[in-house]
Parts: sequence; structure tokens; C-alpha cells
Amino acid sequence: MEAVQIVGLGFIATLLILVIKGQRPEFAVQLSLACAVIIFLFILTKLEAVISLFSDLADKARISHVYLNTILKIIGIAYITEFGAQICRDAGEGAVAGKIEFAGKVLVMIIAIPIIALVLDTVVKLLP
Amino acid sequence: MGLDILFKIAGVGILISVFHTALKQAGKEDMAHLCTLAGFALVLFWVVQLLGRLFNTVQEVFKLF
Repeated sequence: MEAVQIVGLGFIATLLILVIKGQRPEFAVQLSLACAVIIFLFILTKLEAVISLFSDLADKARISHVYLNTILKIIGIAYITEFGAQICRDAGEGAVAGKIEFAGKVLVMIIAIPIIALVLDTVVKLLP
Repeated sequence: MGLDILFKIAGVGILISVFHTALKQAGKEDMAHLCTLAGFALVLFWVVQLLGRLFNTVQEVFKLF
């Protein structure tokens, strides 16, 4: 049922944006931003169930929560930066979108540093 | 909750464009621009609140603290 709601929301937002875009492009950008945020919020509340399932599975497999949390953080950063970059690109600011994506990549790298260091440590220990 | 804010933003946009045209016809260019700016600020206020909610939710869901 949620799928129909989201498609309807997207259609209505698209029609409203088409009406507005001719006279006031700045309102069209805000309209598309609001639509994107509403759909995101709608789907994020559903995502909590999936994430709790994953953490249960990690508990059962006795995987440390550090790894799962790192992956979740990376997914979150990727989500947010992609969202911002898409909005900027829609508004015609490809340069700003590129900067946001670059910042997101750097932040993901920073979060992944402990795991990379761990892998390197393991490899060094294995070597004679 | 979802649709009403979309309609509010679209309504403000259409209203502002009508005001802009009317004020321009009346020869008050500066007033027309101020009117557009006021409408933009009003819509930005709503959108920023919405964005804040989105970012808080994302931080909660993905444990980004």
C-alpha cells in the first residue's frame, strides 16, 4: 500500500513542480526538496525494522557490533550526501553537487580507517 | 502530513507569482522583488524544518553520532 502512496506523492509533486517551474524556478527547487524529504522520512521509518533484523543477525553470528555500526554509518553518510548532491544537481549546480559527493567520500574513508588499519595489522602479523 | 506541505508550498509559489505580476504591472518593481523574497523565506522556513527532521531521523536510524 505504501508503494501506491509514494508514487501518488511523486506524481502530485511533479505536476505541482511543472506548474510552478515556468514562473518561479526557486519555488520549484524547494518543492522538489520537500517531496524528496517526505519520501525519505516515509521510507526511513520502515528501514528501522530491517536494521534491527541485521543487528539481531549480527548478534547470532557473534560479529562485533563495531563492524555493523561502521557499515551503518557509511550507509547513512552515503545516503545523506547522495541526497544533497542530487538536489543540487537538479537545481543546476553540478559543481556544488560534485563537492558534496567528494566530501562524502572523504568522510566514508575516515570512518573506514579503523577497519583498514585492522586488516593491515592482520596481514602484517600473517607475514613471517 | 506529506501532501499538505507540498500543496502549501505550491500555493505560496503560485500566489507569489501572481503578486509579482500584479505589482510589476502597477510599476512597483522593488515591492515585487520584496514580495518574492518574503515568499521564498516563508517556504524556506518550512523546508528547513522538514530537513532538520530528516537529518535527525537519519542520525537515529544509522547511529551517526
